[in-house]
Amino acid sequence: MGRIRAVFEDFGGQLLFAGETVAWLVRPPFRLELLLAQAAAIGVGSTFIVAVTGLFSGMVLALQGNYAMRQFGAEGYVGGFVAISLVRELGPVFTALMVTGRSGSAITTELGTMRVTEQIDAMESMAVNPVHYLVVPRVVAATIMMPILSVVFSAMGYLGGYLIGVYVSLIPPGPFLDHTKSMLDIPDMTHGLNKAVMFGAVVSLIATYRGFSASGGARGVGEATTRAVVWSSVAILVVDYLLTFISIG
Amino acid sequence: MIRIDGLWKAFGDKEVLRGITMEIQEGTTFVVLGASGSGKTVLLKHVIGLLKPDRGTVHVDGMEISALTGRELNQARRVFGMVFQGAALFDSMTVFDNVAFPVRERERRIPHDELLARVIESLRVVDLGEDVLDLWPSQLSGGMRKRVSLARALVANPKIVLYDEPTTGLDPITTNSVDSMIDQAKIRRGVTSMVISHDIASAFRVADRLAVLYDGRIAAQGTPEEVRRSDDPYVQRFLSLWFEKQ
Repeated sequence: MGRIRAVFEDFGGQLLFAGETVAWLVRPPFRLELLLAQAAAIGVGSTFIVAVTGLFSGMVLALQGNYAMRQFGAEGYVGGFVAISLVRELGPVFTALMVTGRSGSAITTELGTMRVTEQIDAMESMAVNPVHYLVVPRVVAATIMMPILSVVFSAMGYLGGYLIGVYVSLIPPGPFLDHTKSMLDIPDMTHGLNKAVMFGAVVSLIATYRGFSASGGARGVGEATTRAVVWSSVAILVVDYLLTFISIG
Repeated sequence: MIRIDGLWKAFGDKEVLRGITMEIQEGTTFVVLGASGSGKTVLLKHVIGLLKPDRGTVHVDGMEISALTGRELNQARRVFGMVFQGAALFDSMTVFDNVAFPVRERERRIPHDELLARVIESLRVVDLGEDVLDLWPSQLSGGMRKRVSLARALVANPKIVLYDEPTTGLDPITTNSVDSMIDQAKIRRGVTSMVISHDIASAFRVADRLAVLYDGRIAAQGTPEEVRRSDDPYVQRFLSLWFEKQ
C-alpha cells in the first residue's frame, strides 16, 4: 500500500514539476546562450550515434521487408515499407531511446550532482530560480532537437534501406523509389514529427525531475539516473502507443 | 536585522527545531554553535527561505521571509550572500564565472570590464589574485574553494552573509584566515553575519553574540562571555572540553 502511494506521489511530483517548468518557460529573462549550449549537447552530441543507429535500422528493415514481400512478388514495395516504418515509428522511438541513454542520463547525473552538493540551493540563495535556469533550457532544447534528430535517423535509415534493397537484394531502384513516393504522405511525416516533439519534452522533463529529486550522495545520483532511464523508456513507449492510437486507432 | 520567532520544523516524525527564538542586530556577527545533527543548517536554510517553517516566523529587515514565495522571495533574497558547507561552487563554471554569477543575473547588461573589476575586487577581499580566475573548482584546494565561495557571496554587496560551517575540514591556518575574512567582511563592508558552526575556537573568535543549539532548542544565548558562564549542563559539557585544552 505504501509503495503504491509512493508511486502516485512520485507521479504527482513529476506533473507539478512539469507545470512549474511550463510556467517559467514564458518568463524573462530568456537565456539564449544556455539554450544553444544545451541544443549543442543534446542535438549535435547525439547526431553521430543517431545516424549510425538509423543507418543499420534501415538496412535491417530492408532485409526483413524483402524477405517477407518476396514471397508475394512484392519486392518493389520494400522502399515504401522502409520509409513508412522509419518516419512514423522507428525514427522517433529509436531516436528518443538513444537520446535517453546518451543525454537524458547525463542531464540527471549533472543535476543530481548539483542537488547533492548544494549547488542548486546555492543558485536559489542567489535569487535565481533553478527551474528557470537549469530546467527550461534543457527541456526546450530537447523538444527542438528531438524532431531534428528523428529526421536524421529516418534519412540515414532510408539511405541504408536503399543500399541494401538495391545493391544486396537487387530490387530495381525505380519501383523502390516510386513506391516510396506513392506510399509516404505528408500526414505520415507530421505524425512522426509530433511524436518526436512529445518524446523530447517527456524525456527531458523526466531526466530533469529525477536530477532535482536526487538525494543521498553518489549512490542517490546513480539511483536517480537509473530511474530516469527506465521511466523515460517506459514513457516513450506509452506515449508512442497513445499518439498512434489517436492517429489511426 | 534578523528576527526569528518561535520556529518549529519537523521532517516526518523527527522534530528538528523546537521553538527557536533569536535576534541578530545589523552589522554584527552571530554564531550558532551546536553538535552535528542539532538542526543548525536547517535553521540557516529557514533564514534565506530555502525551507518553510511548520510554525513560527523569520523576519529580515521587517519583511516576513517565511511567508514569501516565488518572485517576492527571490527579490527578498537579494540582501543575502551565502557560503555553503562544501562551498557549492558550480562545477561547470570557472572561478570567474562562479564569482560573476550573482552580478550577471542581477545586472544582465553590465559591461565585461566592470564585471571583471568587481570579481577581482571581491577575490582580493578573500586574499586571492587574478591568477585563479580561469581555474575550475576541481583545481582548487578546500581552503581556496571556501574563499571563492565567500568572494561569490560578497560580490553583489549583500547586507547579510550566512555561513554554513565555514571552517569545517580546514587546517588551523586556513581556519584562522577564514575567521579573519568574516571579520573583514563585517569591518570593511558592514555586513551582518550569521555563522553556523561546531568549531568552538572559531566561534568565540568571530562572534559578537552566540547561541548554543541542542536538541532543536537554544540551550544558551548571549555574548561569548555570557554563554561561557551559562549554567546549562549541556552547554557546560559542550564547551568544557575546549576550554580545558586552553
